[in-house]
Order: sequence, then structure tokens, then C-alpha cells
Amino acid sequence: MTRRLMKRKTLDRIGLLFVALVMVSPVVLFFIWMISLSLKYEIENGAYPPILIPENFAWTNYVQVFKENNFFLYFWNSVLVTGAATLLALIIGVPAGYGIARLKAERAAIVIMIARMTPGLSFLIPLFLLFQWMNLLGTLWPQIIIHLVVTVPIVVWIMIGYFETTPMELEEAASIDGATPWQVFRLVALPIAKPGIVVAFILALIFSWNNFVFGIVLASRTTRTLPVAVYNMLSFEQVSWGPLAAAALIVTLPVLVLTLFAQKQIVAGLTAGAVKGG
Amino acid sequence: MAPVTLHNIQKHFGAVSVIQDLSVDIADGEFVVLVGPSGCGKSTLLRMVAGLEEVSGGQIRIGAREVSDLPARDRDIAMVFQNYALYPHMTVEENMGFALKLKKANPADTAQRVKKAAEILGLEKLLDRYPRQLSGGQRQRVAMGRAIVRNPQVFLFDEPLSNLDAKLRVVMRGEIKAMHQRIGTTTIYVTHDQIEAMTMADKIVVLHDGNIEQVGAPLDLYDRPANLFVAGFIGSPSMNFLEGKVEEGVFRTDKGLILPLPANATPEEFAGRPLVYGIRPEHIRVGDQGIQGRAAIVEGTGSEIFAKLDCGSEQISCLFRERIDIRFGDTVGISIDPKQVHLFDKASGRRL
Amino acid sequence: MASVSIEAAADKRGVKGSKPARLAPNYWPFVVPALIVIGAVIVFPWVFTLWMSVHSWTLGQEQTFAGLDNYIRLATDFRFWESLWHTLIFTVLAVVVPLFLGTLAALIFDAQFPLRGFLRGVFVMPMMATPVAIALVWTMMFHPQLGVLNYLLSLVGIGPQEWIYNRYSVIPSLVIVETWQWTPLIMLIVLGGLAAVPREPYESAEIDGANAWQKFRYLTLPMIAPFLMIGVIIRSIDAIKSFDIIYAMTQGGPGTASETINIYLYNTAFSYYDIGYGSAMAVIFFVIIIALSFVLMMVRARTNWSDVVDR
Repeated sequence: MTRRLMKRKTLDRIGLLFVALVMVSPVVLFFIWMISLSLKYEIENGAYPPILIPENFAWTNYVQVFKENNFFLYFWNSVLVTGAATLLALIIGVPAGYGIARLKAERAAIVIMIARMTPGLSFLIPLFLLFQWMNLLGTLWPQIIIHLVVTVPIVVWIMIGYFETTPMELEEAASIDGATPWQVFRLVALPIAKPGIVVAFILALIFSWNNFVFGIVLASRTTRTLPVAVYNMLSFEQVSWGPLAAAALIVTLPVLVLTLFAQKQIVAGLTAGAVKGG
Repeated sequence: MAPVTLHNIQKHFGAVSVIQDLSVDIADGEFVVLVGPSGCGKSTLLRMVAGLEEVSGGQIRIGAREVSDLPARDRDIAMVFQNYALYPHMTVEENMGFALKLKKANPADTAQRVKKAAEILGLEKLLDRYPRQLSGGQRQRVAMGRAIVRNPQVFLFDEPLSNLDAKLRVVMRGEIKAMHQRIGTTTIYVTHDQIEAMTMADKIVVLHDGNIEQVGAPLDLYDRPANLFVAGFIGSPSMNFLEGKVEEGVFRTDKGLILPLPANATPEEFAGRPLVYGIRPEHIRVGDQGIQGRAAIVEGTGSEIFAKLDCGSEQISCLFRERIDIRFGDTVGISIDPKQVHLFDKASGRRL
Repeated sequence: MASVSIEAAADKRGVKGSKPARLAPNYWPFVVPALIVIGAVIVFPWVFTLWMSVHSWTLGQEQTFAGLDNYIRLATDFRFWESLWHTLIFTVLAVVVPLFLGTLAALIFDAQFPLRGFLRGVFVMPMMATPVAIALVWTMMFHPQLGVLNYLLSLVGIGPQEWIYNRYSVIPSLVIVETWQWTPLIMLIVLGGLAAVPREPYESAEIDGANAWQKFRYLTLPMIAPFLMIGVIIRSIDAIKSFDIIYAMTQGGPGTASETINIYLYNTAFSYYDIGYGSAMAVIFFVIIIALSFVLMMVRARTNWSDVVDR
């Protein structure tokens, strides 16, 4: 009896595993095909029927991406824009999330929420004009500033949710212990909110890194970020798939690695009612 | 250490009045318990003393200082919270030393004081632990230690024992009291549990709906409750209340039960007025006074027997200290000690 | 500014002896930097867009006040209505399909089986991947002659498709990509809902003799309904403003067959530099999104956000 039950359970599990593998297969096959494309020479990429595992690995595709397309510069641009926009957002957004949560400032929270729902494109027209007048186009500043449109609301929104759940008693205890409001924040609220800050940081980082729409309008030849650079390769080198796939992989690889390592935080942040930015 | 004076304190949240014109004097070193049912305003009052809540009117004085407008950090008080409010990211030692660190006290001196407080509370071996690694009772001790290290003017306790199990609560009750006797700091302690109030307080303040019902020493409140509310609130099981009138030298309840009058009562004084007759269950004995009741509920704990008797249409709770053999449905004769009877005016609720 | 209003409120309450007691910590200094930034990069653009939308202004020329001309032009612009229609079809499909698949995936990942955590991690990856990079690879896969998808179809005996190169199949093809990328989000939301579902009702249903479908239909579905609703809201807002994938793969083509409002807006403002007209479009787009979110919020007024946040 028990043995039959156990056998049944094992079978169930194997069945579920099989179904799960089927569900995951579009993801796995896609990425495998992406890698395959990036490692094949043109002849094999143009072959019919398609070839999955190339005869000779075309590592030159990757070399070519960096050599001929200024990818080191674009990678560095991406790092600067995303890094600055994320750090600024944390510096501004974490205290703001704290303040809004403590003030129960519903209206501020609603503004943040609407900002998250607004299409990024609608910020682009006015800010584009503004940057033009300020003569900032051609530098990285316009992109750093406009990425704040994405990163600040994410950080504030996640931090509001986080600070709302941290117990008020701790902060009261600290103020009785003689802490000023700033000390309460720095010495008690902030250390406790560390997990929330990590979540906000990772999501802001990813959404900023992935952002494309701001770059196509604001970036010049020397200030492109990676997503824009990849897109530009598409329009100029429609035929050579190998380097194109290699470039695509280079752009998205950091994010995918981060996703695998910080899965828990990403899940926490996204299920907290997060709408993707931009 | 300092006396605390609450003078004409008021508190309202919007249109809702929580505390109306309340004044209490707390002497230097006194252990005062604010007790009352939930929603009576006791926690709000404590939070106003702490500076976590603003007063809507009146003054709070700690020592000679008027503190009503001072933020909590400048009041020189320490508070133990219901959920302990230990800083989860600090060790026990850091928790206890946090206030002194904020004051930029000499670290060696801080360590010394933390060590001393830890000794008093038996926490020496736990100083490197984090709050999550402690049991409920240990957390409670750390919270107290945090208060002691401060050496403040006043200790405030906000229902500190309500998260502990019954046995530990009794132990911690004793420890808090012992700590007070040792250190002697003025203490204000909030609880809804009248047993905590009775066992710990030098002075009890009974609050109800934002008003003081009575202030006094524990036994005063037990022996001479000012009104029906205090009489019902203090003492467990609760006092029996029977409504009726004084007629022809006896008390006749509205449902027709006849009971003896208090020892010193002059019947003429109350004749005809609607009254409430109060007698505590523990002041009723088995005896023959002409009052008979059928046992509706019998609960024995070994040391005592609690019974609810149907006497006519009235129900009377009794607590017998002697071992007697009563079972459900038995008829029992009882006698009431006239010296322990209280009479209350039904309209005002006041004791006569 | 806020502390003033707090005091004013206190005065209105008629505080006796009105003292300047302000014991509550002042939290506004924490918020002010963010308010400045949000004012500059979020609120200012909103207001400026509104201003521009009532002006006739092509970049490089003088702007002139145009009143509601831009809006009137929108109402009669066939291409705009067409883009609205495309947006609607795309959004409905890109909500319904991921909703169905995501719920299914959540039901599977809620159960116990080997490698569950790892597979869930893999399943979530598309959601975080850079959309442009993904779009690029999909474009190659959709290639009518050399694409791997037509080869796979041929294996099961289906003839080659034109995918994004045909005006009738372009939107469904884009929905495939959108579904591939965003099904995991629905999965995560529903998974959160399933985690909050209590065990006992299932045990008693088991005793009452319910089969698997009945248990899903009468127990699981009602209990996760609020989460499905959240999924619908988030997915709708995301899908309606989807840009990266559509722009990178088709730029609204072939012709204008996949031109959604967002793409048309982009083209108007940054290809034709018709700033005034583009702004009017942005305003309408903004209103549509806010109205949509508002309607969806009303529908699910039963539960609030914090229910989800806490889990």
C-alpha cells in the first residue's frame, strides 16, 4: 500500500518535471540558438536546414564586435549611465521612500505610481528639447538624467513598500534612546531596510541597463549605450548574423547572470506590484 | 530620578477625544501602574509622557522640567515596548549601549555600564548574540537592560509582559519589581492585567474611557473601590453585582433575593433608592444564612473551588478556599460576610 | 510647506492652548531631494507636454499657439485610429496569452518536483533579458528563408510563414515574442497567490470527493482571482506601451501594419519632428493609460496593493 503510494508519488513528480521541462524549453532553446548563431560563420548561419552545432567555432564574431563597432566604448557608456542613474536613484529614492512611508503621503505615492505607468516616450519629447536648449546633447548627462525617470520611481516605490512593513516601534525606541530623526534613519531604519535596498538596486540596475528608447533619441555616435549600439548594428549589417548575435549576447549577458544569482530579490521586487520601467 | 506630574492632560485625535483633563502626581521613585481595559487611553498617556505622542492640552513635568514640547530624545526617559523593539541588526551589547553611543559617551565607560546591567539581569553570556537568537524572556531582559544602562529619570513600560507565556510572565513580573526595588527609578507601567497592577504597583491609576476612575494603593482599590467600574475591574474572579433596594433592614434584589446589609450601614439613609449590591466571590462562605443556591458551574483547581450558584433568579459567583464537596446541581447554603459588602448608587455608580 | 499644513490642521481641530508642539519627527527633508528630481524629470515633462500639445511646432520652426487644433487633427487622422486599433489587438493578445500560459506555469511550479528552483530561475530569465537583444535574435529566427522557426514548422509539416514580414501575421508574431518574454511575470504573480492559498479547503474537498478540475475551478481559481487581476493590470499597462520589441523588429511595418500608438508617437516626434502633434498624441496616450489603470483598479477594489506587497 505505502509502496504503491510512494511509487505513484514518484511518477507524479517525474511527470511534473517533464511538463516543466516542456514549459521551459522555449526559453532554453531560444538561448541555445542565440549562442549557436553567435558562434557560426556566415555560411553555416545561412545554411538550410539550419545547423545547431557549428563545425568550427567562430570566436572571431566576438572579436569583430569589439574591434569594428567600438563596443568597449559603448559598454563603458552603459556602465556609466546605468551606474550613475542607479546610484543617484538610491541616494535620492531611499530616503524619499522612507519619508513618504512615514508621512503616509498618499498623494506622493500616487505620483510615483503614475510615473511608473507613463510611457517613457512621453518624457522624451520635453526632455529632449530641454537638453537641446541646455546644450547637453553629445554628452552622457542627458541619458543619465532621463534614466532617473525609470530608476527613481522604482526605488521609491519598492522602498515605500519596504519601510511600511518595518516596525515603527524600533524607530520610537531609537528616538527615546536619544537619536535625532537623521540618526534614526541612518542607524536604525536604513540597516534594517538593507534587503529592500538590494531589491531596489537590482531592479533599477536591470531596467536602466535594458533601456533602449531613451538612447535612440538622445545618444550620439560617441554616447551610445549597448542596446542602442546593438540596434544600430542591425540596421547597418543586416546580413552578418554571427556578430549580431554575439553583440546581442554581450548586451544581455550581464543581466542574465545577475538574474540567475539574484533571483530571490528580483522575484520579491517584481511581485511587489512592479510594473516594468520605461 | 525625578517625580512626574501630569497636569490637565488632554488628547484628541481629530474630533475623537481619547483623554479628558487628566491629572496624576507621581512621586520620586514610585512604581505607578496605569491599568484599564483596552482603549481606555493608558497607552496613549504613556506615549505622551515618552514624547511619542503630542499632548492636545495640559502639561507634563519630569522633575522640574516642563517636557510637553520636548521631543522624546531630550526627555531623559527609557521605555520598554510590548514587542521589545530590540534593534535586530545590533548585538545585545550594542543594543544596550546604543543610547550611550548616541550621547558620545566614553566607550570604556559604556562597556562598563552595559556589563553591570547585564550582570543584574543575567545576560553576561548573551552579549554577543543578536535578538533573533534569544528567547522571549531573554529579549525582555535585554529590553530592560537597555533601559537600565541609560540610568534615566523615568522608566516607562508599555505592556511588556503580554507577549510572554503565563509562567514566564509571573517570573518577569517578579524581576521587574525586584529591579525597581534595587534601582529605585520612578516607573510608569501600563498594563490591562489587573493582577500585574496589584502585584507590582506602589500606586495604581485605573483608567476608563480616558478618565481616571480611581488612584490608590493596590489594597485600597481592592478594599474600597470608588465605584462600580473599579470594583468590577480589580479582583479576580469579578465582584458579584446585584441590583435592588434597601427595604426593612435588608437588601432585596429586583429579582427577589434577600441579602444582609453591610455592617455599618444605616438602612434609612438608602431606603427606596435603586442600588447595586457588591460582594466578592471570595467573601462568600458555605453556611446557613437562609440563602440557598443550586450549583450551575463548579470548577475546582485543588487550592480553591469556584462555583456559580443559581439563587432564585440571581446568579452568584463564589470562591471557596476550603475543600468542600459540591457537584453540579447540588443545593448549597451560603453566608455573606457583612463587613465585606459594598453598596453602590445605581445611577452614579459611586460607592456609598 | 507640509509642516505648515499640519499645524493648520491642528488649529482647525481647535487645540486648547495651541502650543507649537511638534514632536513628530519632520520627515520632509528626506523627501525634498526626490521631490525636486521628480518635479524636474517627471512633473515638468508632463506639464511641458501639455503646453506643447496646444501649439503648432515643428522642430526648427517657430511655435505658434494652436488651441485644440492638434487634438482635432488627431480625431480625423486615419493613421492614428489605425494605430489605436493595432494597439488594442496587440494588447489584448499580449495579455490573454501570457495570462493563460503564466497561470499554467504557476500551477506547475507550485508543485514539488526535482530541479524546481533551477527551472523556475531559467523560466524567469526572458523577463530580465535586454528587449532589444532579444528582438534581434527573434528577427533572425523569423526570417522566412533562413529562420529556424520555419524549419521547425516544416518538421511537423507546416508550410513556411512570413511572420513579421506579412501585414496579417506581424502582430501575432510580435505577440509571440512578448509572450515569450512576459509570461514569467504572470507566473510569479500567480505563484505568489498560490503560496497564500491555505491547505485545509483542499483536504476537505478531497473528502467531499472533488476531482482535480473541480478543485481548480471551485477552490484555486476564486482564491487566486485577485492575483490574476493584478496580472491583468500590470500586463495591460506594459503591453499597451510596449516599444522596444516592436520598434527593433518592425519599426511599425510592414507599411504601418504593426504601428501602435507608441510607435506612431515616436515617428511623429522624432522622425517628422512634429513636436506639437506628437505631444498631443502623448497626452491622449497618457490619458488612455491612466484611464485603463483606473478602470482596472476599480474592478479589483476588493483587494489592495499591500496584500500583494506583504507576500
